[in-house]
Amino acid sequence: MKRLFGVFVNGLIIENPLFIIMIGLCSALAVTTTVANGIGMGIAMTFVLVMSEFIISLFRNLIPASIRMPIFLIVIAAFTTIMDLEMKAYFPVLSKSMGVFIPLVVVNCIIMGRVEAYSSKQPVLDSVFDGLGMGIGYTWVLVAISAVRELLGGGTLLGFQVLPSSFSPMIFFILPPGGFLAFSFWMALSNQLRKKILAGRKPEPTQDSCCTLPENGSAEKA
Amino acid sequence: MKRWQMIKLGLILAVYTIVGCVGLAFVYNSTSKTIAQRQEADLQAGLHEVFPKATGFTPMDKVKSANPNIVFDAAYTADGPSGSLGIAVKVHGPSYGGPTTLIVGVSTDGTITGVKVLENKDTPGLGANAASSTYYVDKATKTTFSGQFAGKKLTDGFVVKKDVIAITSATITSRSITNLVQVVGKAASDALGIGGSSPSPSSQNPSAVLPSADSVRIASKAATSSVPGVSILETLVGTKTGTIVGASAKAKAKSYDGDVTVLVGVSTDGTITGVQILECTDSLGSPILAPEFAQQFAGKKAGAPLEVGTNIEAASGATSSSRGATALVKATADALVKALAGGGL
Repeated sequence: MKRLFGVFVNGLIIENPLFIIMIGLCSALAVTTTVANGIGMGIAMTFVLVMSEFIISLFRNLIPASIRMPIFLIVIAAFTTIMDLEMKAYFPVLSKSMGVFIPLVVVNCIIMGRVEAYSSKQPVLDSVFDGLGMGIGYTWVLVAISAVRELLGGGTLLGFQVLPSSFSPMIFFILPPGGFLAFSFWMALSNQLRKKILAGRKPEPTQDSCCTLPENGSAEKA
Repeated sequence: MKRWQMIKLGLILAVYTIVGCVGLAFVYNSTSKTIAQRQEADLQAGLHEVFPKATGFTPMDKVKSANPNIVFDAAYTADGPSGSLGIAVKVHGPSYGGPTTLIVGVSTDGTITGVKVLENKDTPGLGANAASSTYYVDKATKTTFSGQFAGKKLTDGFVVKKDVIAITSATITSRSITNLVQVVGKAASDALGIGGSSPSPSSQNPSAVLPSADSVRIASKAATSSVPGVSILETLVGTKTGTIVGASAKAKAKSYDGDVTVLVGVSTDGTITGVQILECTDSLGSPILAPEFAQQFAGKKAGAPLEVGTNIEAASGATSSSRGATALVKATADALVKALAGGGL
């Protein structure tokens, strides 16, 4: 159980997909203009990630190595489409505001990366916890970036007016450069925290040997 | 051996695909009804928003979009307690971040009853404010961007930053939505037969440019222009109690990056009696369709030079199109003067 918890926690900060592995950035910057979008995208992503990792780990011995990529894609695309349809049916407003980025979860490198690097080699439970950890790691970053952008760029949080209406919104934060800026500040903060965590921990090899990163942070991209 | 291996891999892939597709089919079946219901509910809510008094909506297909980029998805007659209230059109056209879908209502008296933004993919916080119900272009009266169109007359200019208030930092979104509303307004007024909108061809009555004539007939000899590129499509003669008082012609020529079509009337003494800009397909040429631009020509001598910047004022934002139209008006007027002088009309 402790091991599974370790796998889960790993994705939050130590190997955060956005800040450390640095994959899947495109959607993270594009949809984070409002907190609602950030939460929606995070949940959608976590769902597809957990389900894909679960299925692929379950069938990992039945997937021939030479055609693993197309099979991964079929599984990921199926779950993405399922989620897209469910969202259209039950959360139409959210689905509209995220537009093309929901179907694009299919080609999000976080999912492909984790499936290829982790769940195609690890047991089912570990894979599910890895998916959860990575998904929540992705979600908190999205919510953090979008909170800054929505607050400063629109004066609202989750659509509610937070700052006094005399506050003149900084439109810069809604536009892409503001996204990069918010992203970089959160990344600096998170990596500072990561350093402290790693310093307080005895160096030991993690389960995830394929993706353990050297301290200088150079990322392996699947 | 190798071929057998490939067939085996293909079969494995096929199995995964089939399982995936069957799964998707189930999900699709269970959600498609809800999705369709939701879209229908959205549409109905939008229709009732633009025609709150309507008792029902009957689909119709008489309104046609004049612009190939702007597509009318559906059109409805709004049925009131005592006859038709007007036309509601679901329309989509290009905007800053992708297509924007609107419902536009046009009443039988030639006003816009309302505009509802169904879908807009423009920048959140900027262009997306077009769909917001809490973003006011006029804070004093709490008017939203789409709300300002309600009650607007089709004869208005529909020019952003003049008679339409733009969304701050989202001029492109404001322009594209205004354009969509105007195109619907024009098409609906044609279908309703009211023809109030300024560039509307229904005011293409040739006598409008020949006010002194009491009847107009097709000329027995067509006027021709010596200016290259100008084609005269139709020549008409205006008569008053049997005497020729003037002639009018519809002419077409290339303009900035499209074509411009004008209707020009000239009296027998060589004065331009009236001009209408009927059509302009230039990418930013729509301002010249405003009646203010065409009105400048009336009363000018056909023989005198007509030049944008000196005696003709360019429509703002469309200088090149104004030049093209002015040159065409001049060529057409010259051709008409020549035809009138030649006689035999």
